[in-house]
Amino acid sequence: MTELATMEFHPQPQAGEARPWAFPEPGRGTLDNGLTVLRCHRPGQQVVAVEVLLAAPLDAEPQGLDGIATIMARAFSEGTDKHSAEDFAAELERCGATLDAYADHPGVRLSLEVPVSRLPKALGLLADALRAPAFEDSEVERLVRNRLDEIPHETANPARRAAKELSRQLFPASARMSRPRQGTEKTVSAIDSAAVRAFYDSHVRPATATAVVVGDLSDVDLDALLGETLGAWTGSQAQARPVPPVTADDTGRVVIVDRPGAVQTQLLIGRVGADRHDRVWPAQVLGTYCLGGTLTSRLDRVLREEKGYTYGVRAFGQVLRSAPDGTGAAMLAISGSVDTPNTGPALDDLWKVLRTLAAEGLTDAERDVAVQNLVGVAPLKFETAAAVAGTLADQVEQYLPDDYQATLYQQLAATGTVEATAAAVSAFPVDRLVTVLVGDAAQIEEPVRALGIGEVTVVTAE
Amino acid sequence: MPMGHTATAEAGSGGLTATEHRLANGLRVVLSEDHLTPVAAVCLWYDVGSRHEVKGRTGLAHLFEHLMFQGSGQVKGNGHFELVQGAGGSLNGTTSFERTNYFETMPTHQLELALWLEADRMGSLLAALDDESMENQRDVVKNERRQRYDNVPYGTAFEKLTALAYPEGHPYHHTPIGSMADLDAATLEDARAFFRTYYAPNNAVLSVVGDIDPEQTLAWVEKYFGSIAGHDGKPAPRDGALPETMGGQLREVVEEEVPARALMAAYRLPEDGTRACDAADLALTVLGGGESSRLYNRLVRRDRTAVAAGFGLLRLAGAPSLGWLDVKTSGDVEVPVIETAVDEELARFAEEGPTAEEMERAQAQLEREWLDRLGTVAGRADELCRYAVLFGDPQLALTAVQRVLDITAEEVQEVAKARLRPDNRAVLVYEPIAPDEADTEAATDATDATDEEAAK
Repeated sequence: MTELATMEFHPQPQAGEARPWAFPEPGRGTLDNGLTVLRCHRPGQQVVAVEVLLAAPLDAEPQGLDGIATIMARAFSEGTDKHSAEDFAAELERCGATLDAYADHPGVRLSLEVPVSRLPKALGLLADALRAPAFEDSEVERLVRNRLDEIPHETANPARRAAKELSRQLFPASARMSRPRQGTEKTVSAIDSAAVRAFYDSHVRPATATAVVVGDLSDVDLDALLGETLGAWTGSQAQARPVPPVTADDTGRVVIVDRPGAVQTQLLIGRVGADRHDRVWPAQVLGTYCLGGTLTSRLDRVLREEKGYTYGVRAFGQVLRSAPDGTGAAMLAISGSVDTPNTGPALDDLWKVLRTLAAEGLTDAERDVAVQNLVGVAPLKFETAAAVAGTLADQVEQYLPDDYQATLYQQLAATGTVEATAAAVSAFPVDRLVTVLVGDAAQIEEPVRALGIGEVTVVTAE
Repeated sequence: MPMGHTATAEAGSGGLTATEHRLANGLRVVLSEDHLTPVAAVCLWYDVGSRHEVKGRTGLAHLFEHLMFQGSGQVKGNGHFELVQGAGGSLNGTTSFERTNYFETMPTHQLELALWLEADRMGSLLAALDDESMENQRDVVKNERRQRYDNVPYGTAFEKLTALAYPEGHPYHHTPIGSMADLDAATLEDARAFFRTYYAPNNAVLSVVGDIDPEQTLAWVEKYFGSIAGHDGKPAPRDGALPETMGGQLREVVEEEVPARALMAAYRLPEDGTRACDAADLALTVLGGGESSRLYNRLVRRDRTAVAAGFGLLRLAGAPSLGWLDVKTSGDVEVPVIETAVDEELARFAEEGPTAEEMERAQAQLEREWLDRLGTVAGRADELCRYAVLFGDPQLALTAVQRVLDITAEEVQEVAKARLRPDNRAVLVYEPIAPDEADTEAATDATDATDEEAAK
């Protein structure tokens, strides 16, 4: 069956000598208006990335107006005291820039990317948006309608539908985290420009904001440029807003969101666990990678490469919200999709993988490969300005020191197999996982019940 | 080993240079040095894609790409993934209409490993290919198809529109993912024959970009790839040439369980590699790129009839390119309202051409996209291979930005007038139906319509 190859074989080459690389250290300062600025020069990165973090978290949204932080974030690019909405978009694009803005539990983020030659003009536009947003009635009304139009598209998407259901299941109904980040039809409908303006007045000011600027800044006088742009933004002082603790009910159970006729079942199996403030984080990163970080991790080795049930299943830890006192939390989850007839067998195998991990632990070889990958990919992962800026902004948003990422690599390298096993097992305990399945209930309910992985309830699709 | 010329940085290349070389077995090699970060990208393009597939075997090129990760002469099982990831690298492969690419980005000191791995599978894949991996990857690819196309709303739009835009029997009539029936029908012998036909050093271009020593890199390439025999058994793909315009509107109405009505269309445009194609790119950007485009302003801002509206360009070298329109309606708005507005805007644009400001915006947007692509070693390696395989000259990658900036408003207007017409498009209309009327199949966002299938 095999075919003789005609090529000349050579032994697998050995690695050369590694060249030093370190996660860049940013410079930190404060403008006269109280705005915190992190800057980082990355030679050769002609597209500069600017991230702005605003202390406008979702739990600050007024009662009944879920989604207002999202509408405000979007409205930043819909006109200022100098430009109409159409002109603002045109001016940005004339710089070759992109500006994205979104709201999440920790706050609102704006991300600007622009060729360095046009940074001054684009930064001016960004500053105008923050300093003097128009929030015109008709533009806000349009954004509200647009947002309402998006909701059915999200509901129809199995992955997004699963995420929404998992939040509803995990968090107490009174917690903002239990409800959709961008609001519901009812709450979004209630949003108008006056409410957006009031939210802005209460929560947006330079003293509680941070800007991160990364790229090839060799020909940029950044201090002068910041002074003329973001430095012109004014606002009152404010106390830091207290961060409420995250609580979740991870009693093991299964919720099927019915999607009649679906050819695949979307899986989202999750709970809440430690964030980056916890000493276990590096071990949790390592253990989670060994479980389901890539195609050669335990889950895909069985579910994909042995059984062919899926295109890929991933385990991950994603910070939901952190607090200065370390009471924050991350979502720990396993996600992917499997074909409908194999939903039962795939979940059975998935649970077997978790039980085997708890019973036998990880091997030293698995741990070594995981460390080599997680640490070794750093120079690749942080090649672009946007990647560096994103991570620096995440650190600020999560109340972590500026050298956190650099330190994390040392900690990963120092984490042993035993610690990684313990962290993975306590991150994914078989009896404390909430399983959301978006799929054809008529076909998957019985096989899933038979697995005994928790009480099964079926939710009808909207 | 005959050495190629050393290019000096050309105007508009952003200071990037590349050198070209060819091994005795026909493997073309492109090298580009950049020592800013200690990483190196390896990219290998094989000149084979779904356009080379034959009737009854759609999806074979992509299924085969998956098999390239299942071990080879000296690499066991998932070794390609394990070794690269264990060395701190990242890797993947993708299949499109016109080519199949494989790529690794490595820390500099692990570059030799990536070259060894690529050579091993180029020279000895069939020593490891067996029924077990064939059956397994067939199931994986079928699940890829379900996940990305069959189980999401509008998921099959790309496939449907492509089938409309290119006539039956045309090499681009079917997309790289292939049909379930053909994926089921593919045999191990098909895969072996595919390898023997298309996976030869003289049907490939290898680029290595980043923190490299060119002499050492070439020596490694010669050492690992040099003994793989070239062969000339490759049949030319069927001719993809078509008349410049469709000569009439083609139309399909899809009644499915989707969240909103949608109007999608594919316009027949000039082939990639021509000035007219760059002009078309600018026209589509003015009309439907970003949030200051004519269609966005008209449909989303002013008329408020659409939740999203945009144009994209699918560049193709071996057949006409496609201008890709995607509009999702707002609320209860009916498709003819959208269609009338689109036609008005396109007619007005053909009549007036772009304003100077619109040209400036569109060129700035496309320039940034190029800077993004060339800003990583992996992006640069891929573009060098692209221009070498499709146009015979990798140096063109480094001057592509300048060519876009050289296009005039008159050229943009000309291509719009000639091509962006109702009688030169295939139209796909989505009409939502209630769940109980639906067939067993649902189909989401076609805005990310992709011509690529990846291995993971």
